[in-house]
Amino acid sequence: MPGPYDLLVAPFAEFAFMRRALVASVALALGCGPVGVFLLLRRMSLVGDALSHAILPGAAAAFLVAGLSLGAMALGGFAAALLTALAAGALSRVTPLREDATFAVFYLFSLALGVLLVSLGGTGIDLLHVLFGSVLAVDDAALVAIAAVATASMLAMAALHRALVVECFDPEFMRATGGPGAAIHAAFLVLLVANLVAAFLALGTLMAVGLMMVPAAAARFWARGVAGMIAVATAIGAASAYLGLVLSFAADLPSGPSIVLVAGIAYAASVLFGGAGGVVPRILPRAHLRG
Amino acid sequence: MRRRTVLLASALGAFAARPALASDARLKVVASFSILADLASLAAGEHADVLALAGPDVDPHAFSPSPADARRCAEADVLVMNGHGFDSWMEKLARSGGRKARLVLATQGVATIRARAAHSHGHSHGHSHGHGAVDPHAWQDASRAAQMVRAIGRGLGEARPAASPAIAAQAARAADELLALDSWISGLFAPIPKEKRRIFTSHDAFAYFGARYGVEFRAPRGVANEGEPSPADLARIIRDIRRENAKVVFLENISSPRVIEQVARESGARVGGRLYSDALSAADGPAATYQAMMRHNATLMRDAMVA
Amino acid sequence: MIVLDDLTLAHERHPAVHHLSGRFEDGSLTAIVGPNGAGKSTLLRALAGAHRPSGGSLDLGGLGPRDIAYLPQQAALDRSFPISVIDTVEMGDVGRSGLFAALSGAARRRAREALAAVGLEGFDDRPVGTLSAGQFQRVLFARMLVQDARLILLDEPFTAVDQRTTADLLEVVRRWHDEARTVVAVLHDFEQVRARFPTVLYLAREAVGWGPAEAVLTPANQLRARAMAEGWDPEAEACSRGAA
Repeated sequence: MPGPYDLLVAPFAEFAFMRRALVASVALALGCGPVGVFLLLRRMSLVGDALSHAILPGAAAAFLVAGLSLGAMALGGFAAALLTALAAGALSRVTPLREDATFAVFYLFSLALGVLLVSLGGTGIDLLHVLFGSVLAVDDAALVAIAAVATASMLAMAALHRALVVECFDPEFMRATGGPGAAIHAAFLVLLVANLVAAFLALGTLMAVGLMMVPAAAARFWARGVAGMIAVATAIGAASAYLGLVLSFAADLPSGPSIVLVAGIAYAASVLFGGAGGVVPRILPRAHLRG
Repeated sequence: MRRRTVLLASALGAFAARPALASDARLKVVASFSILADLASLAAGEHADVLALAGPDVDPHAFSPSPADARRCAEADVLVMNGHGFDSWMEKLARSGGRKARLVLATQGVATIRARAAHSHGHSHGHSHGHGAVDPHAWQDASRAAQMVRAIGRGLGEARPAASPAIAAQAARAADELLALDSWISGLFAPIPKEKRRIFTSHDAFAYFGARYGVEFRAPRGVANEGEPSPADLARIIRDIRRENAKVVFLENISSPRVIEQVARESGARVGGRLYSDALSAADGPAATYQAMMRHNATLMRDAMVA
Repeated sequence: MIVLDDLTLAHERHPAVHHLSGRFEDGSLTAIVGPNGAGKSTLLRALAGAHRPSGGSLDLGGLGPRDIAYLPQQAALDRSFPISVIDTVEMGDVGRSGLFAALSGAARRRAREALAAVGLEGFDDRPVGTLSAGQFQRVLFARMLVQDARLILLDEPFTAVDQRTTADLLEVVRRWHDEARTVVAVLHDFEQVRARFPTVLYLAREAVGWGPAEAVLTPANQLRARAMAEGWDPEAEACSRGAA
């Protein structure tokens, strides 16, 4: 039976690809944490998944133009997803159709467009497979890109924090006091897309959205304020990344799903035992306070 | 009245004569993918025009046929497929397309190998089994490819009985060529000691090659390009490479290159070029025909072993 | 001074406020009353800059968004949002410190003072989701206190709120009036209006009366207001009335 060192430290000590995977996924957890929390609070949880499909036509178009260049495809994917996000975001503010319907239309359209473009390319190479790698295949360029996006995103989210809280909590107040509500929303969407593309580049579709949403959902059961939620979500994300990698190495499982699985277990534990709304604390009889 | 009957009869007779005219034209053959198309060309020679649905550099696993492909199948005389789950979309096309085309299974009568289990060892079994998924990459063994050429020839002959003897002779000639290729490849590896006959690659498509020419293949996972490799898989391969001091690892022309590059980087080996497994290269590439592909692959592998 | 000149506000071309002219003097304390659908909320929204006139004009006398505090009838805000009372009230400081600069200690002090003024001392860290309707309304009033606005717009602020809260918040309104701020409130309770609001605009799409409370809140005006149709006229033609 391997000891704790063998399980928890040895894989990372011995293999560079494990170290890279850890750094990449923890960096992503840091970047995605704040974004995921606001996505959750704005009831836009499925938008991340929808936007992931918007990346495909951009990547496919870039592939048709520039061939199998990861940088070009990432850029193309970013542009397409950003366009989709901004257009859908603007439309859902201005038209009667709300975010869920507008984004659904856009994502289905993008998906179809992407499939069309890929088939036009004719090689039948599984573009998604090539573009969206595995956490085990993170190379230097991808690592730098991820670290850059995570850093920039954290700084930007910190600067936007109060504005985002107002915009999410009381958009009428934002508007009435002359605040730049639309611009704040747009900035948020840019950060969302950047984090998603960075996550896809390294970790694949499942992991990206999973790392964004599941820790945020878990955090809801521990924190009473937004800042607290962000801290908890980031911590849960980073811990899930680490433990997920440990688990996948020890049990010979694919790493992306393992990380999301661990996050899911953290969510289940949070639902049951979380201090802020968990099931068990609410059911357990506890003495009430004096005042 | 009688004149009209005679006219009618001669018109009908003219119509009846048309198939005889048509039999002088070349057979229209549609093969599922590029390698099979080349084998079919070898078998048919000038008796057929062959085209492939999944062309050079196209991954047949991920190929999804278009309406134009369905039309080509409908207009074909003969459809050639590999079978064993490799190109099952071809079967669907054959069924839904015109009933006119004859479906030829290129691997008819060819001994198969069972697909490797999820954990890669180094060895594969030599005989076909009834149970378990079958590895479809039979063409990687030139002697089996020779059998496939003969099988295709038989199928073409049944579609064009008048030309059957000529086609059979052509197919026999092609099979002999491939047997010569088979010997050449064996000879290439003969001087290399068994412990050095190990190739590290990203895709597990060379079981038949390995069985036939005594080469051991190590790959992260899976027969098809599905599934993410697990870190334990990569760890195993990296340890193996380090332990045996292998100098060269291989990419294949269809799978994701990033995993194998990572493996190469970490184990200190270099990427030795591309092996062609499921598709030919473009016409100006090193594996534009089946024989070119086999020579290219074998040479690269031999070079890696003696590096 | 806010001047309305032949103002028409429409919803899908049907007028909610129809050819309304008049003014809100600086520092006035005005109640807007009238039947349902009379355009009261719409008028307030126009004053808050959320509804564009379809005819006539609305001159705010130089007031910008930072000078106006607006309490809508149904708060569009998310009560389940994880935010505390003090953070909500501090939001009112946005006019002074903007959205991006760090909030100063002075801002927090202002917020605490506002909470004390509405009777919610010590509620700082309570999540807003745990408050009663009355308590939450006090929080929103506290936020408006922090906003320190020159024009305060209240749309039915005391519906679904208990009597004690109503009384306390009416005190805040009085304080605003004492500070010479302009206050406009849409209200339903005529007794409340008669007791506390010197100026009344009796609105039934058009002005039934606009002036001192005793003069406007007459039975005659009530009859006239009742005669106003509540629904839209499906066969209405384009209105050709110009400025009176």
